[in-house]
Amino acid sequence: MNLEAVYLQQLINGLSLGAMYALLALGFTLVYGILELINFAHFNVFMVSSFFGMWALELLGLSGQAVVLTGLPLAGALLFAFIVTMTLAGCLGVAIERLALRPMRAVRGTAAMITTIGVSYILFNVVLLTVGADSKNYPNPMPNVSWALGGATLRLREVLIWGITIVLMVGLQLFVSRSRLGKAMRATAQDAEAARMMGIDVDRVIVTAFFLGSALAGAAALIFGLYYNYTSFVIGYSAGLRAFTAAVLGGIGSVSGAMLGGVIIGLIESLGGQLLAVRWTDVIIFSILVLVLVFAPSGLLGRAAPNKS
Amino acid sequence: MLAFHAVDTYYGDLHVLKGVDYRIEAGEIVSLLGGNASGKSTTMKAIMGVVTPARGDIVFEGASLLGVSVAERVRRGIAPVLEARRLFPRMTVYENLEMGAYTRARGPEFDADLERVFSLFPRVKERLRQLAGTLSGGEQQMVAIGRALMARPKLLCMDEPSMGLSPALVEQVFDIIQTINKQGTTIFMVEQNANMALSIADRAYVLQTGQVVLSGPAAELRQNPMIREAYLGEMKVE
Amino acid sequence: MPDKDLTERPLGMLGASYAWLRRASPIQWIAPYAGSRLGIAGLTVAALLFPIVSGNDANIDSAANALAFAALALGLNIVVGFAGLLDLGYAAFFAIGAYTYGAFASYQIEPAWSQFWVPFQWLDLVARVPDPGGDLVHFQVSFWLMLPVSAAIAALFGVLFGAPTLRLKGDYLAIVTLGFGEIVPIVARNWPSVTNGAMGLNGVAQPQLFGWKFGIGATPYYYVGAVLVALLIFTSLRLKSSRIGRAWMAIREDEVAAAAMGINRVKFKLLAFAIGAGFAGATGTFYVAKLQTATPEMFMFPVSVMILVMIVFGGIGSVWGVVLGAMILQILQSWVLEDLSQWLHAIGRLIHVDWLQRIELASSIELIFGFILVAMMLYRREGLIPATRRVQGLTLAQQAAQVGTGFAPERLNLAGFGAHDRETDGALLDIDGLSVRFGGLVALHRVALQVPARSVVAVIGPNGSGKSTLFNAVTGLVSADGGAIRFAGRDIAGLPPHAVLDRGIARTFQNLRLFPSLTVLENVMIGMHARLATGAVGALLRLPGTRREEEAARERALAILEIFGNRLVPRLDHTVASLSYANRRRVEIARALASHPKLLLLDEPTAGMNPAETHELADQIKGLHRLGLTILLIEHKLDVVVDLAQHVVVLDHGDKIAEGTPDAVRRDEEVIRAYLGRSASLGGAAVA
Repeated sequence: MNLEAVYLQQLINGLSLGAMYALLALGFTLVYGILELINFAHFNVFMVSSFFGMWALELLGLSGQAVVLTGLPLAGALLFAFIVTMTLAGCLGVAIERLALRPMRAVRGTAAMITTIGVSYILFNVVLLTVGADSKNYPNPMPNVSWALGGATLRLREVLIWGITIVLMVGLQLFVSRSRLGKAMRATAQDAEAARMMGIDVDRVIVTAFFLGSALAGAAALIFGLYYNYTSFVIGYSAGLRAFTAAVLGGIGSVSGAMLGGVIIGLIESLGGQLLAVRWTDVIIFSILVLVLVFAPSGLLGRAAPNKS
Repeated sequence: MLAFHAVDTYYGDLHVLKGVDYRIEAGEIVSLLGGNASGKSTTMKAIMGVVTPARGDIVFEGASLLGVSVAERVRRGIAPVLEARRLFPRMTVYENLEMGAYTRARGPEFDADLERVFSLFPRVKERLRQLAGTLSGGEQQMVAIGRALMARPKLLCMDEPSMGLSPALVEQVFDIIQTINKQGTTIFMVEQNANMALSIADRAYVLQTGQVVLSGPAAELRQNPMIREAYLGEMKVE
Repeated sequence: MPDKDLTERPLGMLGASYAWLRRASPIQWIAPYAGSRLGIAGLTVAALLFPIVSGNDANIDSAANALAFAALALGLNIVVGFAGLLDLGYAAFFAIGAYTYGAFASYQIEPAWSQFWVPFQWLDLVARVPDPGGDLVHFQVSFWLMLPVSAAIAALFGVLFGAPTLRLKGDYLAIVTLGFGEIVPIVARNWPSVTNGAMGLNGVAQPQLFGWKFGIGATPYYYVGAVLVALLIFTSLRLKSSRIGRAWMAIREDEVAAAAMGINRVKFKLLAFAIGAGFAGATGTFYVAKLQTATPEMFMFPVSVMILVMIVFGGIGSVWGVVLGAMILQILQSWVLEDLSQWLHAIGRLIHVDWLQRIELASSIELIFGFILVAMMLYRREGLIPATRRVQGLTLAQQAAQVGTGFAPERLNLAGFGAHDRETDGALLDIDGLSVRFGGLVALHRVALQVPARSVVAVIGPNGSGKSTLFNAVTGLVSADGGAIRFAGRDIAGLPPHAVLDRGIARTFQNLRLFPSLTVLENVMIGMHARLATGAVGALLRLPGTRREEEAARERALAILEIFGNRLVPRLDHTVASLSYANRRRVEIARALASHPKLLLLDEPTAGMNPAETHELADQIKGLHRLGLTILLIEHKLDVVVDLAQHVVVLDHGDKIAEGTPDAVRRDEEVIRAYLGRSASLGGAAVA
């Protein structure tokens, strides 16, 4: 492939990665916007959900890449898998909020964040101990269709991923801007006490935020599995780092910021891997994270981030 | 319509409201006056349910409000206009109004109330799609009142409506408050600006360090020199 | 703020029974003894005898590892527990200490020989090694020398990694430190020339003592570890009860108030990072010397989390607590879980349950840590041995506070108090044309104000007039957008808060900013921070000069507290959070006085006090004024103002609208109108 084609390919890869990171970052930022809480557990909810997705697909009799579906059955299978995964992920998120985080709401400082570190650990190790350390082959019913695009290859899975991501993002945007509960969420994020005095049930809003955020993580997890054809107990860490950086880069607490940040980080990862060695990608991403937090904490699209209270 | 019976509230171990009694009859404009740190804001918060009295009772339309959630109070007909407006800055004017009606269903009543708000505040209708945070102070105050009216309240609780507004705007706002009152809404107004408040109120209470030191018809209070002492913090050891 | 009721938490029954358990726990009884001489002596003997009593090398090795983690826990305790800086990347400093020693004690790095290396060869730090391609240098720096050197290098990195976090809020600070904590092992993995990459260093030299090599037995390492931990415990304890420790704890509790009391936040935060990193650096050297290898896996995020779990479990901020926590968890990992697994296997065989026979608890240590962390956060945030101690109640006599009026502080020995430079006659504080804007809002507009030396000036005005903003501008908490602020003739606008305190301006806060979990005495002594000189070294060595300074400081604190009669003195060791509102106000004033100010700024000192308390405090303030103190006072109780102030300035909406004697001001039309509100032309006369 010539140079242009290489870059085009990396662009395609980057956009797919970006879609995934955007969804993951969105879920994270939804919770942060309301509670100002950095939820470490979010990224292992992502990891656990990839297993939910795997089991949902296996329930349909799909395993590995042996069974290939097209057309309506494919759509049906994917729809089923997404619904199941996202619902289970959402429930997991709500359970975490109820059991571990609600009691911490009154406590000042970083105590709640530390608790999420603990929860994250628990999820990680439960999966490790029950499922084992080896990567699992992910069921994938998508046919191996691809198109040539100026020297690069565009696969069906990429198109599907972009499509699903766009649908989810549009759906979320509509929910947040049009629905009653969605507006209540925005109101609570902007001024929780005033929201309460409008009669908004802040507890319900928080639970909704956790459900939605975790459901989005579930969607991202299923996408991960379908894209890479594997999952394992460690995927939370690496994807989490990138999604977190994406959320911060885009502006923590901002929905459009998470989307923008996700795409940028996805592109950086694929192009960065091309230009430098892949092993330095983590360092690059961490450096971006540190630089943004220190020099521009409000990110690209966020409001002024809170510094010292 | 609303009554406080010997209400005590605490902030930690600080005794803020000390056995206060208020009475607000339906259809009145009652103002709560007082200087710095007198407990005015806490009174508002106690009515809305954000602060819970340690002792005493708050009764609304014959039913006690103790243990009643904030949302339920809004449903029963108490709506707040918050201190410094506190609109949702990154939501549009229309969305802010919608939030005011959060506890109510959509339908013809909602539309009717919206029309009412538009007729009271034509400027609000003009700025409907604008983000609330970009409005001027006076415009925000209009939206804040409108937002409260969208709950179709029986009792409108206003916390320092004159704060941060120019004198001309304050006049406008107080004009509107009188209009709303004539349309049938009872008004309870916490206000630092005694002059303005007494010019439209029917009755008033004066708070000083958590105790009611003066009360009565506004006309009487206007002539009472003790108000000045209460405001300037000349302490009366009761 | 009190914890939520246990029954409100989920698993309430479980929590309730745990709460009962913790009250009955022997840990409560042990804790007071741990600090006593007897306790320490007993512990020392047990520690010394342990390897002799236990012949098992594996056990001694585990104990040595436990000691290493105890040392790490002590280091993290300084950063997180003392200074309140949540460092999630602490293992990075462990790594730096390890690889630094590894670099200088193994043949990993082999520079070419040159004349440069001769003096080092002479000092026996390097050896010249013949090689076909040209002579090479082999490092052979002694372990004992490397201990302090790696500590120093790690400390340097502590400053480097800590510097970007200085302005960040707690959770952002944590993320940035996490970032650095991740970058270090990645760099280690990808820099094989120095670190030998993922395979890890090998051939790291064993320590030698006078020519005798340590060998492969664990016992000599155990003793080195024990001495290291003892040293670090000693250092932690000394620092904690010194001026340095107090400064850290003040920063942890309330940064802004700490700065206003003269603490240079930048310096002390960096000091905490540095010392904490230094502990980890020394431990890294020890650990690598013992293992004779170092791999990047040893220093990744899970290690940082593990140390965090250890200090949360043991008791954040408590020196003995974190040591206990570290040792328990480490020993849990190496001994208990192994044995427990065996028992579970046996039970599994007995009752024919398959997974019981296969379970390996040791590999689920991280899961257990996760549960411990969550459980501790939910149910016992203060850890096994809490950092704040319980205090006995007061006697009935002590509870009945008797403070007569007409109390005269000059009777106490407050020598030199406020009686300062005679040369400042005229205005001690001169504010000229001061303007402060917050975005579009004008908080202060060209305000001019003079406070003559040895006078009492009051600032009054309705809500929102800018009074507190005025104080904030003078004390450097808020920057001025115009105008000048001169104190004792020198310009102070733009100085950071701790420098303003140093010049001699101390303040109290309208909404009280005390250090809640510290005692009354500690709060007041923090006020003295700027007037004491003990540094970290002095705190450590506790030379006679330092001891004298601490004694004198304590004396002064007591003298100041005695101004308030017996209200505060019996409560010397009570945490400030447990005091009544009025007493907290008094402590804040005492804290400000402790800094030996020339000018005292009191922001609504009598707020929330009843008339009797107000009268008493006014008398006490008058007494201070008689001692020569200059006072600028925000007050809205006008009779207090009339009683205390010689001159009154009235602000309204950021403008000065009147000034003069209290009587004149209180009758001024403008002033009355400001308070009662501008009347409109809406019918009806203005209020009389």
